[in-house]
This record gives sequence, structure tokens and C-alpha cells, in this order.
Amino acid sequence: MTAPLLEMKNISKRYGNIIALTDITTYVNSGEVTCILGDNGAGKSSLIKILAGAHQQSEGRLFVEGEEVMFDSPRDALERGIATVYQDLAVVPLMSVWRNFFLGSEPTKSFGPIRWIDTEAASRIAKEEMAKMGIDIRDTEQAVGTLSGGERQSVAIARAAYFGAKVLILDEPTSALGVRQSGVVLRYIIEAKHRGLGVIFITHNPNHAWPVGDRFLILNRGRSMGDFKKDEITRDELIMMMAGGAELEELTKELESASAGDEKLADMAEEFAEELEELEERAEHPD
Amino acid sequence: MKRARWIALGIALMMILAACTSDDGTDTTAADDGTATTEDVDLSQGADLTFHMVTHADDGVFWSVVKRGAEDAAAAMGVTLVWSPSFNDPEKQVQDIEAAIAAGTDGLAVSLASPEAVGPAAQAAADAGIPLYTINSGVLQYKGLGATTHVGQTEVVAGNGAGEFFNSLGATKVLCARQEQGNIGLEERCQGLEETFNGEVVSEFIGEDVDPTGQEATISSLLLADESIDGILGTGPNVAVRAVEACVTAGRTCSIGGFDISTDIINLIESGDIAFTVDQQQYLQGYLPIVLLFLEVTNLNTAGGGLPILTGPGFVTTANVGEVKALVDAGTR
Amino acid sequence: MSATESPPLENAALEEAAYGDERLAYRGPLLRLLTRPEIGALLGAAVIWVYFWLVSDVFGQAAGAANYLDVAATLGIMAVAVSLLMIGGEFDLSAGAMTGATGMLVILLVIPPGEFGGAGLSLWVAIPLTLAFALGVGWFNGTVVEKTGLLSFIVTLSTFFILIGAKLGFAKLFTAKVIVEGLDEGSGYDFWVKIFGAKWTRNDHIFDGRDTLFGFLMVIGFAAVFFGMLELSHTRRERFNATGLIVAAAGIAGALYGVWGLRHGFGFVVGASTDTVGSNWLYAAALALGVIVAAVGIGVWRFERVSDRGSFSLSGTSLRNIAIALGVILFGSFVAITLDSSSEDIVGFMLTVQGLRAIVFGFGAIVGVTLPVLVARKEGKRSPITKFVVMTGTSLVIVGLAFLIQSEATSRKFRAEVFAVLLLIALIFFVAGLMPLLFQGREAAHPAADRLGKMLAALGIGLFLGAVTIRLLYMTSEEAAATQAVFNYRISILWFIVFAVAASLVLMRTKFGNWTFAVGGNKKAAREVGVPAARTKTILFMTVSVAAFLVGMLLAFRLNSVQANVGNGQEFLYIIAAVVGGNLLSGGYGSAAGGALGALIMAMSFQGIPFAGWNSDWRFLFVGVILLLAVLVNNFVRKKAEEAE
Ligand SMILES: Nc1ncnc2c1ncn2[C@@H]1O[C@H](COP(=O)(O)OP(=O)(O)O)[C@@H](O)[C@H]1O
Ligand SMILES: [Mg+2]
Repeated sequence: MTAPLLEMKNISKRYGNIIALTDITTYVNSGEVTCILGDNGAGKSSLIKILAGAHQQSEGRLFVEGEEVMFDSPRDALERGIATVYQDLAVVPLMSVWRNFFLGSEPTKSFGPIRWIDTEAASRIAKEEMAKMGIDIRDTEQAVGTLSGGERQSVAIARAAYFGAKVLILDEPTSALGVRQSGVVLRYIIEAKHRGLGVIFITHNPNHAWPVGDRFLILNRGRSMGDFKKDEITRDELIMMMAGGAELEELTKELESASAGDEKLADMAEEFAEELEELEERAEHPD
Repeated sequence: MKRARWIALGIALMMILAACTSDDGTDTTAADDGTATTEDVDLSQGADLTFHMVTHADDGVFWSVVKRGAEDAAAAMGVTLVWSPSFNDPEKQVQDIEAAIAAGTDGLAVSLASPEAVGPAAQAAADAGIPLYTINSGVLQYKGLGATTHVGQTEVVAGNGAGEFFNSLGATKVLCARQEQGNIGLEERCQGLEETFNGEVVSEFIGEDVDPTGQEATISSLLLADESIDGILGTGPNVAVRAVEACVTAGRTCSIGGFDISTDIINLIESGDIAFTVDQQQYLQGYLPIVLLFLEVTNLNTAGGGLPILTGPGFVTTANVGEVKALVDAGTR
Repeated sequence: MSATESPPLENAALEEAAYGDERLAYRGPLLRLLTRPEIGALLGAAVIWVYFWLVSDVFGQAAGAANYLDVAATLGIMAVAVSLLMIGGEFDLSAGAMTGATGMLVILLVIPPGEFGGAGLSLWVAIPLTLAFALGVGWFNGTVVEKTGLLSFIVTLSTFFILIGAKLGFAKLFTAKVIVEGLDEGSGYDFWVKIFGAKWTRNDHIFDGRDTLFGFLMVIGFAAVFFGMLELSHTRRERFNATGLIVAAAGIAGALYGVWGLRHGFGFVVGASTDTVGSNWLYAAALALGVIVAAVGIGVWRFERVSDRGSFSLSGTSLRNIAIALGVILFGSFVAITLDSSSEDIVGFMLTVQGLRAIVFGFGAIVGVTLPVLVARKEGKRSPITKFVVMTGTSLVIVGLAFLIQSEATSRKFRAEVFAVLLLIALIFFVAGLMPLLFQGREAAHPAADRLGKMLAALGIGLFLGAVTIRLLYMTSEEAAATQAVFNYRISILWFIVFAVAASLVLMRTKFGNWTFAVGGNKKAAREVGVPAARTKTILFMTVSVAAFLVGMLLAFRLNSVQANVGNGQEFLYIIAAVVGGNLLSGGYGSAAGGALGALIMAMSFQGIPFAGWNSDWRFLFVGVILLLAVLVNNFVRKKAEEAE
């Protein structure tokens, strides 16, 4: 078997005295999707920032196609063909769509030693790539800050998809998207996988992860709760692990006691309890 | 015996002062002799004295000579000099005075460019029994503050001298070009000019010394806008130098006068492009206060007799520019 | 500087992709122009120029231009560099002190060694060494800011103090004075003085055909802008109609005849001027008629006829606005006629009768013309006929004002020059109202027409600039005989233009420019997508030091000596100029051209005050007001621009 496209071994990350990640190991193969799941603060973003070169790991090693690498900056990772959609999107609000799209990798024309940006091509490609995502950008000169949240996310995703030569990393790309655009992103992920890219897809929505993922790494409070192949885990187990059954139960109780005089809250608590029951049942007897 | 020498020195200095208040720049050599005589004096008496000179000085041509005078005097007297320039920041000057008092200074020389702000702090020093002299600016306030005397030039008198000079040059309308805004000393120079000058005077701020080309452009635009100006008095040495080129640009022949001394202005007086400069002989404003403080502390002398000691105006003109030049090169004029 | 960007598109589908989107309201040429960051500064510069041109005799002439350009050049070089840095999100408070430091350093390096001397190097060595020093300081600033993450404000403040201390200390150490001098003693001076100290003396360049060439270029330039605007604002016909061409040709011939006849009467165009009317009226009429006929001819030739003229109607607000306009204009005129034009009595703080009269009349005229134009703009969308009526009315009002000024003004400038300019403006307003009445306005982009229109407009503006440059650079022999003043244009102006253009191109057209915007707008994001953020910022700091080096050389070669405090504190003027030019103080938005224009505004304000004969005590009050206005206008324009998207 050839070495995985991107592999991380025993990665730990500390921010000063805050321990964000401890001993994480997983990999992504070309043509596969590795999903990283976990609650808020689980350390998902910290992990992918290490993969993208934006942060450096405190401990552990990274391999690209079997070769050990150390990324000093995102540029290093990009040069290795690793493109990332950050959770905060990494766009510059005051700059136009096409300038954001090509930021850091501007297409140029040259005349002798003088090189300048090929604005025409940049503008056209940006518009085309956005159109592929089903977003019809009115004018690529529009400042990204004036786009809607979903449009902005689409810019970041289209950009990464366009530049991700080997690995595409997406940090909660669907969080601000409507149903249709979420579908488009999932389709994108599948397309990228078919093109032979390795995709790392971060989400806290197991319903999005399940249909596209080949591997699932579940993080909780900076630790790995398990790293499963798709055939090692069921959808409902995944959902159960994600939701952290015990915590859900606790939440239900809390809601019940708080809802003593509040009808709405009481309704909510009831719903919660039902859902919990159903989940447990399904996890125990997978269909 | 030693004491007698000191008294001799004191007398010599008083004579210099008298010379300064009366007339032109011929006294420079006398000042130098003064420095020379101090060299064989026994300095043991002053060895542990510290005098503070707290001024609104910047790092321009003018104040560097004051500082040089003070340093030379301190070396000659064998006292320690603390030189605190405030770069026209009254707040800092007040703090420096307070710091000097706190440090237990033996004597204080203060320039009062901003009397309202700095006056109370200086007065506090005098009240605390510290010998106090005002230098350069403060001729109207020194008595009220309890200073022994003032060492400087009154700007109005200096301006008067410039006015007479322009009369003799036959100018009819003089631009009084100021390099600072709201500096009362510079305004008084223009006011003094107006008092004695027979023609008309326009007083304008023409930009600061830190922007020499801007000054030149502003003077030439004033000349272009008013065809009747035929004389320019720069209230600083750089302004007068800039005025030369500005007059060429405006296609005019003007009589140009300046205040204070710089290498450039001396060269231009030598070449005849500038008619004169009013010299307040600022070396004395550094040198004398140290000597006077020394004498007051060690010998309880109080000079001036209740009147200010004037260090100027002296004039540098084509007649005496050659001799002055050598002293300028030495950094004492 | 980059208003013309339209390389050919490959095919129709692409054009569709690039332009066609029904959700995108079509933005006409003026609105598109308004979204540029430097537009506020451009308008500001124009307003200030016009203002001082009105109130002073010399300001509007070559003597005035030589004067304020001299000040603008060195300020502008720094303002452009500081603008780049500001767009990149940083400040450099050491920039001012650096100008003096490099100037001093080069002199210290060349003056002969001795007890009080320098290093005695050749300028061929000293200048590269000084440049290396400047680059080093910039590198230091950038690296410290990047490595420590401290505010550049604090870091460069330290550099500032280090520099002013070092300047003074070394000057005294080496020469025992606070001024270092004697650059011309260095070997290689003769060569380098041409690079940094050359000047163009206008008096030595005589060109008697100047005014003819000037007039010629202005007329062609005007025509180019005019046709360009028509291309940009009207819908093309399917097939061009050749008869229109004949009409247009006749119109152009008539207009040219008018210009030719006015050559000596039309002070605005050719400089010479007279108060006499008479045969001039004939030529003026020929000119006006010619322009109108030519415009209509071109319309018939190229553009669709208008399909719906609408009917004349004015909404309540529009009616009210027009009433207000008429009210103020009548009041202003009444005041102007009643008050004595030559009375210099003071009516109040700083205000003479004359001044009051000018202010009331000027205010009335500006409001009286602006409001109807806004009304015409608004109503014209629905009803071209309303636009036509309002614009024609406005143009008649302007004609009225022109005659009022001619009869009431005491100065020749107002009676002749302002009079002619107002009539020309009235003509333009009339045509601007007439064309939409006859031809279909454009509601969608048309790549070919847009390209042609922009090209023509750019060509026209280029011709204007060329014409003005020729007038500024050359004297006629008559003028040379009559004038005593020596007009020098220093090479700093050329350096300024080169630097500003280069900076603009780099900013708008290169990777580095893109990165500059990015690191200023969102540094973290820029870094995350692979922009070498630290390097970009360091290079920006180095750009500022190189600009300071350039200014230092210009200063040293001009004065031959540099005093230790030269340049200290000037950095605030650079920052002000950059802000006045529309650059965002917090970074990420702006333009190099804006910085250049900001410097020009500052220079014109500083120099305009003495030209206007104002007391210089008000200098900073004026600067403060300009700064405030500039910031307000920029803010307004940016908001408008973003809304219009
Ligand atoms: N730059 C940082 N400095 C300090 N702590 C951080 C930093 N970034 C993240 N953290 C902490 O690390 C933990 C993991 O954060 P993150 O990776 O963003 O979680 P997730 O993306 O899974 O929601 C959180 O507790 C967060 O507060
Ligand atoms: Mg996250």
C-alpha cells in the first residue's frame, strides 16, 4: 500500500497553558474523505490549522505522501497542494470578489521582467467558479464584505476547490449555508474525491458527514474518541457518539427542572427526551 | 589671592556686559578672553556645585551655541551643568524645573518663553531659596518671580535695531517672516521693527524650519502676491537664508535681514545677498548665567542692579562679517 | 490612475458572463467614477484650485503652479509612500525625520575628512550607501513590528526619537555644528546634481506657438471627452446612419470657426483676453450652435432615438427643491446688486462687506445650480422631457449669473474669465439636457461602446493634461520680456509624478499591490491564503524609507546643506495628506493617487493662503477644516459607493 496522502501522527497542540489537542492520529488517502467531528471547542479548527500551516503543532509529526513535512506558514502547505477553507473564511472584506479569490495566487501576465495581474482572466475565472457552485455573483468587483454570509462562504469554498491540488480541507463549510448550497458543498466534496483529491471535512453535523465520509475522527475536548472507517461504525452510533449521550441526558433533566413554570420550555424538554430515547434505541439495535 | 582673581573675573564680566548692552559685535574677543582667564583659577570651590539650565530649547543652530556657552562656563568654573531642553514644551519645562528643585540644585537658569505656564514653577524655586536667573526670554517677568536678574536680549529692542537698519537701506515695505506661530518673542521682533521702521510692515508666519523648501515657497508666494514688498526680515537665521532664493524666484531685488547667526547667513552676508543679521550673542546667554550663579553661590554677588543684562543686539554686517565668521566656525557665535 | 481597464474579451458568451446580470442595476459612467477612493480628493483639489484661482491673481498662473507644485512634490513623494503603508495597515512616524537623516548622511559621507569633517567619499559610493542605510531603517522598522507584534505606531516612534537624536549627535560629533554642509565638494557632484538637483527654468524656454497649440489640444481634448461621454451614456443603433455624420461635420466646422474667431477673446482657452463684446458674440454663437449641431449629428449617426420622452411632471420634493434653488439664487443676486462691491468695511469677525457679498452670492449660485441638477437627475430617469426642461432652465440661470457677474464685478478676471467659463458650463448643461430628450439612454453595459467611450475620455483628459503642461513649461517671448520672476520647476516634480504613477500601477496591477490591500484589510486571512504578510509589510516600510531617501537627496542637492532638525514632525503632514486623499486610517482601502492628490491639496492650501493675502495665523484653521471636510466627503463617497453596488 502506498503512503497516505496526508498523515498526522500523535499531534498535540498547546496554546500557552491551554491544551487544545492531545495525541491525535489519522490520515486521508487520495480519493477519500476524512470527516472530523466534534462539539464546539473540541479542537477541530486547531487540528486543521496545523494541517494548513497556519499554526505549528507542539508535538507530533506530519507526512505528505510519506515524506515528513514541517509547515512554517500556510504558503508552505499551499505549495504542497493543500488548500483550506477556514471557519472564519479568511476573506478580506474590503477587497473585491476576484481579488479575494486569487489572493496569494494571482494569475499574471508578463512582458519581459514586468509582471502584472491578469485582471480579466481573474475576474472571469472567479465568476465561472462561483457559478459552478450555483452562486451567480453579480459583479466580481463587489467587495466581499457586502456579500451575504452564504455568498461569502461560497467564495472561500470555490477558491479552495480551485486551488486545492491534492488535499482540500473544509472547516465547517456548511454552517452558514442554505439547504441548496449545503447540498452543493457536499456534491463538491464527492466530486473532489472522485477527482482523486483527499478531502478533510470538518463539521458538527453527522447528517452531513455520513453520506460523504470514508473515515470519521471524533474529537472531544481535544482527545480522539476514535477514528473509524465507514464500515466500522453505523450512522446512528456516530450520531450517538457525537451527541455525547450522557450529556444529552443531563441537558434534558436540566430543561425539565427549569421548565417548571414555562410551557414552551416544557415542550422543548419533552421533545428532547423523545429524541434521546429514539437515539438510544437505534444505537442499540442498528437497522 | 584666589579670591582676588575671582573678583577680577567678575569685574571683567561686568565690563563685557556693559559692552554688550551698548553696542555691536566687537565684544566677542573680550568674551573669549573671559573664558581664557578662568583657566588658571583654582576650581576647588565649585567642584561639587550643580547648576540646572532649564530652557525651551530645541536642537537648532541657536540653542546649540547657548549650550556651548553654558558648557564652556561650567568647565571653566568647574561646576556640573545639567542642560534640560524642552523643545518648546512648557509642560516638560515645568517638570524639569521641579525635578531640578527636587534634586537639590545649587542654582537655576530658566528661559521663560511661556511665562504663564513656567513662571509658577520658577517662582517656587526662588521661594525655596535657590538662586534663579532667567535667560533668553522673561525680561518682563524675572522681577516678579524673584530672579536675581535676566540675561538676554529684549526682542523689541532688537526689532527696533532692525527697523533702523532697514531705514538706512531705504526699504519701503518689509515682510517680517516668522518661522514659528504664536511665539511671543518672534512677534515682538516684528513689533519692534514696526516701531522704528518708517515704511509699512507685514508680519506673516511662513512655515517652520523643519520644512525649509516650504518656507522658501511661501515667501515667494507672498512676494508674488504683493508687488510692493522690497524688504524681508527673517525672525530666524534660516528664514533669511530662504528669502534669498525666494526673491530670485519672484524676480525682485529685496533687502534682507535676519536674526541670529548661522554659517549660511554669514556666508550670504559675506557675498552681499543678505544685508545684516541681528545677533543676540547667545553664547553669553549660556555662559553668563553659569558665571553669575557661581558668583552668587560662592561670593554672594548679585549682578545687574535690578536691571536685566542685555546680550544684544549686535549686528553682523558686511563690515564685520569676516571676523565673526571665524568665531562662528568655532561654534561660539 | 487605472480608470481605463478593458482589454478585449474573447467572445460574446464571456461578455455576457462579465456584464449581464439582471440583478445588477446598471451604473452609468459618472456613478462608476464615484466609486474610486481618490475621487473625493480629486474633487477637493479641483474645488480648492478654483477657489484660490478666484480669490488671487497669481495662483492660477504658471507662477502659482510652480510654487505649489514645488511644495507638493516632496510632500507628495512621502504621502504616496505613506499611503501604501497605510493601506497595508501600518504607520511610520519616523518618515519625516528620515528625510533629514538621509540628506545629512550623504553630506557627512562626502565632505572631506579632518578634525571637523566627514568621510570624504565619492558621491558614487555615498549615495548607494545612504540608500542602503534607508533600506536598513525600513527593514528594521518592518522586522521589529512583525517579529514583536507591537503597534507600528510605537515602534516607529522609537525610531523617530533615535533618528532625531542621532542626527543631532552625529552632526555635532563630526562638524561641531547642527548643520552639515558642502555636498558640492563631493566627487561626482556634477552628475548627481542632474539627477536630484536639476531644474527647468521656464524663462529659458520660449515657444511662441504655445497658445495656439494649447488651444488646439484643449479643443480636441474637449471633443474627445464629449464624444466619449456620449458613447458611455447612450444606446447604439443597430446600424449607423451616415446622414448624421454630415450634420455632425457641419456642426464641428461651425464650432471650430467659433473657436478660431474667439482665439483672442476667449480668455479661458487661450490666455489672452479682452473685455470687449461685439464681433465676439458672433463667434460665441457659432461655437455654441456648432457644438449643439455636432452633438445632435453624432446622436443621429450612432444612437437610437428615444422611445419614450415621458411627460413633463415634477414631484412635490422636486418642485420644492427648485423653488428653494430659485429663492437662494434670487436672494444672492439681490445681495450682490445691493451691496457695494468695493467696500472693505468690516461687517463682522474677519468679514468685509465684499467678503459677505461674495459668500452670499457664491452660496446662492452653488445651491441654485446644484439642486436643479439633482432634480434633473432624479426626474430624468422617468421623463427625459422633464430633464430637458430643468437642465435648460438651469443653463439659462447660469447665463444670467454670468451676465450679472460681468456687470457687477470689479476685477477683470471675473468680468472676462469667469464670464466665459460660466457660458461654457451653461452650454454643457444645455447639451446634457438635450441629448437624453433625443436619444435613448443606455440601461445596460455595452462592452464595445464602453471601451470606446473610456478610451475617448482618457484621451481627452490626456490632451488636457498635455495642454496644461505645455503652458506651464513654456513662455512666449512677450511674456518673457514682461516678467521678472524666474519660474523654476525642480526635478522633484518629475520624481513625484514618476513615483506616484509607479506606486499606483504597483498597487492596482501587481501581486504585491493585491497583498498590500490584503495585509491591511485582514492580515490573518491574507496569511492563511498564502500571502507572505510579514514580507509584504516589511517591504512597505522599506518603500517609505526609500521615499524618504529620495526626498533627502532632493533636499540635500537643493540646499547643499541640511540642518539636524529638518523633516522632524513632517510625518504628520504625510499622514494627513494620505487621509485627505481618501486612504482609510485603519488600512485596507485607498489609493496611491489619492495620497498624491492629498499632498496637492495640502500644498495648494498652504500656498494659496499667502497668494490670497490672508493672514497666515489662520493657516492651520484652514488645514483643519480641509482635513475634516476631506474625511467627511471620503466617508460619504465610500458609503455611497458601497450602496450603489
Ligand atoms: N489562538 C488560541 N489561543 C488560545 N486558545 C485557543 C486558540 N485557538 C483555540 N483555542 C482554544 O482551543 C480549544 C479548541 O478550539 P477550536 O479548535 O477552535 O475548536 P472547534 O473548532 O472544535 O470548535 C478551545 O478551547 C479554544 O478556546
Ligand atoms: Mg472550529
